Amino acid sequence: MAEKKSLWQALAGIDRRIVYLTLLVVLVVPLILSLGLSVKPMKDVSQRVRQVFEQVDSLQYSGMPLMISVDFDPASKGELQPMLYALLRHAAARNVPVLVLGLWPNGVGLAKTALEDVGREYGRQNGVDWVFLGYKAGIDAVILGMGENIARVFPSDAMGSRLDQHPLMQRVRRLADVGFVVSLSAGTPGYLDWLLYAQSRYRVRMATGTTAVQAADAYPYVGTGQLRGIVAGMKGAAEYEILNQQAGFRQASTPAIDAMDAQSFAQFAIVLLVVIGNVGFFVAGRRRK
Amino acid sequence: MQLSSSLWVWVGAILTFGIFSFLLKDNPFYKFCEHLFVGVSLGYTMTIVTWSTLWPDLFKRLFASPTSEVSIGAKLLLLVPLALGILYFFAFVPKVSWLMRIPMSFVLGWSAGVIIPSIIQTSVLTQAQYTVLKPGWMLQDLPRQMGEAWNHLAHVKGFNSVSDALLSFLWAIGPPTVFIGAVAAVIYFFFSREQKGLLKPVSGTGIIFLMVGFGASFGYTVMARMSLLIDRLQFLLRDWLGVIR
Repeated sequence: MAEKKSLWQALAGIDRRIVYLTLLVVLVVPLILSLGLSVKPMKDVSQRVRQVFEQVDSLQYSGMPLMISVDFDPASKGELQPMLYALLRHAAARNVPVLVLGLWPNGVGLAKTALEDVGREYGRQNGVDWVFLGYKAGIDAVILGMGENIARVFPSDAMGSRLDQHPLMQRVRRLADVGFVVSLSAGTPGYLDWLLYAQSRYRVRMATGTTAVQAADAYPYVGTGQLRGIVAGMKGAAEYEILNQQAGFRQASTPAIDAMDAQSFAQFAIVLLVVIGNVGFFVAGRRRK
Repeated sequence: MQLSSSLWVWVGAILTFGIFSFLLKDNPFYKFCEHLFVGVSLGYTMTIVTWSTLWPDLFKRLFASPTSEVSIGAKLLLLVPLALGILYFFAFVPKVSWLMRIPMSFVLGWSAGVIIPSIIQTSVLTQAQYTVLKPGWMLQDLPRQMGEAWNHLAHVKGFNSVSDALLSFLWAIGPPTVFIGAVAAVIYFFFSREQKGLLKPVSGTGIIFLMVGFGASFGYTVMARMSLLIDRLQFLLRDWLGVIR
């Protein structure tokens, strides 16, 4: 006959299906009720996100373009796509031209959709306000090549039009003509490749928007100033959306802000489950002795 | 509630449930979704790579461009990467599979030459410079930062003042802490001498820093995974069921 479990043993070994169900409830309920809890305490946006916002903002005075490298695929869409939209809307609202490319082949479709959506929202024109370079295989060779001549690496844009036909590209020949680079990075290739080849060799000013998993690895480069700010995970994306809101920019949707209630509840539930599991484990262990 | 009328949203929703069904246990529906995902990803990647790189940069220039556009010399030069690329396929012919080593050695040589100096510059020298020099610069600024922290505390108006004070304090002690943490963590991995005497407390401090680092990474990882789940739930609740805006 199976030995009956004590309460502490049960707490130490909660069935994983109960954990999944708990998480489902704590995520779905705030999404449906839209409590708006998390936005209020975030009025003090973290300094690192504000740095990125200010760098993009400053491009309106220099007239230099913002380059966004879409270094993610649909698996990281939940975290990085809101950042892409927030950056594109910020650039559009400030009339900053944008160059978009991708080091991940599977991110090309996501980048194109975002460019077209924001282009429609703000009436932005392909070739004048933005150019979509698309994907090119080669990573280090691509970045190094753009340091010398962008048109040599991308003779045509993602739609097949020759790059020299775009008015925007008349004044953008190489990476030195780009005002600021943001790598939206979900792994390798990503922000580190931009640091290694663009920042280190051509002194390009850059920042990154990373998945939360990568954030801890990227922070040391922010401390040294190699990265001029970081937008980390969904919380970072929500903070960027808040900065856009505070600046009065039009935003058709704010997916990261909308998700932060559920995020907060989920984090709380995880902490609670970790505490419960550990208390059960230690008390049950002590009683056994 | 307004159920979606789009076929592709329904396909997305059904495949999402197929993947989530693994949470209960492994099953054929999950296996089907998994294989479909891998196949579609690979097909998409191959198409993008072919039409964005292989065709315009190699095959088109080599076979479809007139010599007025791409000179004979340039075309001959393009035969080199084409030949190197073909050599990769000899991996499937056991007798001559060694030929694959030629393009591999080319790629490894190029990568090592390009990456090693960049990594030393970016991830070693600059990081070491910051770790060693910044605490000194920051210590000069320490009295001002502490004064700022005290000002926030002296005019406490609720949670924000306390958090501002804490931030100023952490900002002030950040770089010296990085220095202590870096030295202690490196000493923890110093195995050439038994860790006793002075080495013991320093390596113990290193463990604390490492644990704090792992904790921060774990916290971020939880946030990342939850974000991806939230994205899927938003898709189901908004795009498929239409219960949220």
